[in-house]
Amino acid sequence: MPDINVRSDSVDVEQIMRQIRARIREKRGSDYTETELQQLASVKLQQFLDPRGVRSDLVEQFRRHRIVSDAPPNYVFEDTTIYETHRAPIRWIRKVLNPILKLFFNPNPISSALHVQAEVNAEFHRRFRQREDMDPLFFEVIHNLVVETTRLGIETQNLRMRVESLTSRLDFDERRARALESVVEYRPAAARAPDAQTRGGGDDRPGPAGGAQPGGREGGPDSELRRRRRRRRRRRPGQTAADGGPGGQGQGPRPAGQPAPDNGGAERPEAAPDAHPSPDDRDGPDDGGGGDEGGGGDTDQ
Amino acid sequence: MKLAVVVQRYGADINGGAELHARYIAERLAGRAEVEVLTTCARDYITWRNDLPAGGDTVNRVKVRRFPVASPRKPERFGRLSNLVFDRTHSVADELRWLSAEGPTSPALIGHIRRVRNDFDFFIFFSYRYYHAWHGARAVPDKAILVPTAERDPALGLAIFPPVLAGVRAVIYNSLEERALIEHLSGREGPSIVVGVGSDIPAQPDARRFRRKFNVRRPFAIYIGRIDENKGCAELFAYFQRYAALYPSGLDLVLVGSNVLQIPKHPRIRHLGFLSDEDKFDALAASDLLVMPSRYESLSMVALEAWALGKPVLVSGRCDVLRGQAVRSSAGLYYEDFDQFAECLYALEGSGPLSSILGGNGREFFARNYAWPVIERKYLEMFDRLAREASPAPMAPLPGWLARRRRDAPPARRVVDEAPTGPVGRP
Repeated sequence: MPDINVRSDSVDVEQIMRQIRARIREKRGSDYTETELQQLASVKLQQFLDPRGVRSDLVEQFRRHRIVSDAPPNYVFEDTTIYETHRAPIRWIRKVLNPILKLFFNPNPISSALHVQAEVNAEFHRRFRQREDMDPLFFEVIHNLVVETTRLGIETQNLRMRVESLTSRLDFDERRARALESVVEYRPAAARAPDAQTRGGGDDRPGPAGGAQPGGREGGPDSELRRRRRRRRRRRPGQTAADGGPGGQGQGPRPAGQPAPDNGGAERPEAAPDAHPSPDDRDGPDDGGGGDEGGGGDTDQ
Repeated sequence: MKLAVVVQRYGADINGGAELHARYIAERLAGRAEVEVLTTCARDYITWRNDLPAGGDTVNRVKVRRFPVASPRKPERFGRLSNLVFDRTHSVADELRWLSAEGPTSPALIGHIRRVRNDFDFFIFFSYRYYHAWHGARAVPDKAILVPTAERDPALGLAIFPPVLAGVRAVIYNSLEERALIEHLSGREGPSIVVGVGSDIPAQPDARRFRRKFNVRRPFAIYIGRIDENKGCAELFAYFQRYAALYPSGLDLVLVGSNVLQIPKHPRIRHLGFLSDEDKFDALAASDLLVMPSRYESLSMVALEAWALGKPVLVSGRCDVLRGQAVRSSAGLYYEDFDQFAECLYALEGSGPLSSILGGNGREFFARNYAWPVIERKYLEMFDRLAREASPAPMAPLPGWLARRRRDAPPARRVVDEAPTGPVGRP
């Protein structure tokens, strides 16, 4: 971590805190603070959550519907309820006539059922109230889930950007490595270009590079034969043309401005075989030409 | 001059913030005036049980008179009433019931204050929110000096307090933020001063002795106080564990004090329990910095002690008082989230660039504002001023019987939440 810049003994704490906050912002980049996450979770739910099928106003709905209902009306029903009255004589008469009433039907099961129903109602309301009391907890859980989902969404977005960045870097590195390899591999070919220009031909190299120079400035069958003879004399005993790299011209002169490879590209096993040219290798002469023009392959990337 | 210090609990072994504050002030003023402490027989602030004998006593050469608590606090009833007055529209009568339920309900103490009102020049009441301060201040408003020790908690929004806060003769605040909040809520315009409290700082605390005794080898940040969720310790633990994972060679955390909250088992968190004053100051001297995560403080005595020893302080930025003091003293940093916590810890490490500068500022800040001669001088100047000035208008009376029962007082929490927040700048 870089140190805080304190210029004198008379420090200003707010100034230091500003420096600290700036440094945190620098380090954090696109990350969010807890507070910012909370704000995002409450304000921008639509952006983050709608695509995933979650209602954007979920928290608001929860908050709005958080009500504590009043107790519903209930009654008390005992076995004496049906005989009750505020007039004492009538109550007495009903009590006296109760045995006669029971001759017609038995009111006890009705009283009992209504009594149980009253208790069920009370119990139901108690449980309902408990459920309402749990609502804040559910709200909290939902809210935390929303915050976490938001955080995960942001993290995923950040990770996706990072992966994209890494992919492009990797791609760049690969292309750069390939370009460098091709420069090394086709140095002899690049070196041969002036040679071929000198010869006025390139007839010992197949392909368009050779065919592109139908008439040399200096060339002629005699001069070509003389060159071949000179080359054969320089070749060491036991060395074949293939040992020298493509066309056996690995030791040829370097083009101007082209640095010499450390090991000599022709000696690198992966660069040497002409027998199995890769698709990139087939493009080599062109690339080599590009390299001669100042590494155009690199600048393109 | 004869002074009465009135406080809810009092004793050499009672270490609550306001109680310790009251004891320090009583003992210091005892050298300049005749001081008597009027208090209750309670020792436990949860139940206010009568643990100490009623009657006269002497604590550190200061006369103390204790009065019994009529009924201990019933936590359930107090909790129910707290919910009512803090979160719902209620009446003044509800608030008075809340005050009695909170306690320590000691009518004998209030009766004594009424009886001896002419024997004392001033009554210094500590802690505005308790029964003794509210009823006592109403009994002798023209001689009442209130040290509110108010935090930003919902009780401050109750309708019964503004008349008392505005009507006492003088208010002695602990911080500029406390003054701003109380003046906003009560509309007080009378005499007041920001004083705070000093501390007995040893001349030569021995950091090496502490390290030897407790086998502490690595650099560390220290927390001193009750280890409680209300003090912000849960957040401190969470932040510190993240910090420790990020910075393996960073500071350790040493905790001093009794714990109510479970302390996480972590190789870089050490809990030393309750320490003697000598060990506490040695620990402070050995530390790199003091951490104070509490969001509700009217004054942190331990922060002042750290500054007195030249140690920087890292405080919670959500506590206006601590943040304001850190800014005004230029002796501490504050944090509001984990990133700031980690960066500030890094910046305040003993080997860092800020430690010695902020520590030096803290030492100077303490000497300028909280050394005992300064505190004593401020109190004496206030007494002189009050003795010279005429008494202001009498305290507003309680509403009538019917008005007290009208349910029109807003939820106290809402009142406090609506009050302006933020630290006060340099005076």
